[in-house]
Amino acid sequence: MKKNEMGLEEALDSLEQIVEALEEGKMSLEESLDLYEKGMNLVKLCESRLKSAEKRIESLTGELPADIS
Amino acid sequence: MTQIFTVSELNLRIADRLEGDVRLHDLWARGEVSNYLHHRSGHRYFTLKDQNSQISCVLFRNNGLSLDFEMADGKNVLVFGDITVYKPQGRVQLVARGIKQDEGLGFRYLQLEKLKKKLAAEGLFASERKRALPRYPERIGIVTSPQGAALRDVLRTLGAYPAKIIISPAQVQGEGAEESIASALFALRGRADVIILCRGGGSVEDLWCFNSEAVARAIFACDAPVISAVGHETDVTIADWVADVRAATPTAAAKLAVPDVEEIREYLSTAQTRIMRSLWNALERKEERLEYIKHAISAKRMLVLVEEARQRLDYLSEGLGASGARRIDCLKNRLELARGRLEAVGPDATLLRGYAIARTDHGLVLDARDVKPGEIIELILGKGRLQCSVIECITKEGSEKEAKP
Repeated sequence: MKKNEMGLEEALDSLEQIVEALEEGKMSLEESLDLYEKGMNLVKLCESRLKSAEKRIESLTGELPADIS
Repeated sequence: MTQIFTVSELNLRIADRLEGDVRLHDLWARGEVSNYLHHRSGHRYFTLKDQNSQISCVLFRNNGLSLDFEMADGKNVLVFGDITVYKPQGRVQLVARGIKQDEGLGFRYLQLEKLKKKLAAEGLFASERKRALPRYPERIGIVTSPQGAALRDVLRTLGAYPAKIIISPAQVQGEGAEESIASALFALRGRADVIILCRGGGSVEDLWCFNSEAVARAIFACDAPVISAVGHETDVTIADWVADVRAATPTAAAKLAVPDVEEIREYLSTAQTRIMRSLWNALERKEERLEYIKHAISAKRMLVLVEEARQRLDYLSEGLGASGARRIDCLKNRLELARGRLEAVGPDATLLRGYAIARTDHGLVLDARDVKPGEIIELILGKGRLQCSVIECITKEGSEKEAKP
């Protein structure tokens, strides 16, 4: 994982916070719009994360049997 | 109806019943040898017992030939054979077809209990130290045999969840398994968010390495939470006690390790709806506020403003007072005067009295000699104008008439 790449957990955590903050509704409209945009981007990010479920199996020592990996 | 048996008939019946039960054939029994007697005939007689019970055993000469250890009282053995009834004495007995020395399992269980106590005292099983599993692990470490079915179960169950899977191969039974498992766990240090330690079902001996101190300490030292899944649900090893979470099977371990992808998808879609609805609500709230402000401005604030303006106006007009009114009257008078003078100076009044102004394109006509007969002149009257053709120009010197065509 690259440093700037947000993991699924981090993304989902931020998303949760944003949803809660938005639902609390204590911010200005500008802030709401900003959070809305961020939230939607996080949803997209998570969805793409889930889609890119390519199998990334590796073995620390030795070769894996052919039916794995 | 009461049937009366002879003793022989009764024992025959019991024998038929027991010997006809397949579950009492080809069985293994574990226990300790006592009353051992190696008869001159070559047959061996003994009693197999545990803490609470005992059963007669016999190992006939031919079956005893393959025995690879010295039988003796107090030995722990595993006996393979069938249950029969020795009818002359009405005695149920185990006819052994093979006997293996039980590798001190009794002793090993004692050792195990000791180890459990020691590790418990050190806090390795303490529930306070159990770590919570990460909700969304990005790196899943698996310690198991690459050849085992357990690994395939785990991989299949992890399924579509997007995480990196790091297999740390280990030998999960036999000589050297303990060290292999311990070092495989150690190798995952810093590389995994959660670790699954698993192997499929097997005999107690096969699973015994999971009862070792080395494995227990290796699990305890892991920097990521460990899920153990060793053997079947009924097999509980020390590894299971130390692990942060114990799963009944490798498949169950994999299920515990990762969230359901479908659940995440669902959450995402709800999150999306919630975000949109919140924004919508926020907008509506702002709109309401705007409405409120508009209302406040129009109904109240504006009234206040208007009231203020009116007061200011009143104040100003009062200030103007008499002098203002006088100034206006004066202006009116001056206006009337100016109009009168203007009227006197201008030609309008004169014209209205019957005078006219004659003019051509060149200017006013003041002298009859300025025009020629046939020329067009304009007469401006008190009301309206006339376009006229000159017929005759009459001067002191005489007259000039329009030439006849």
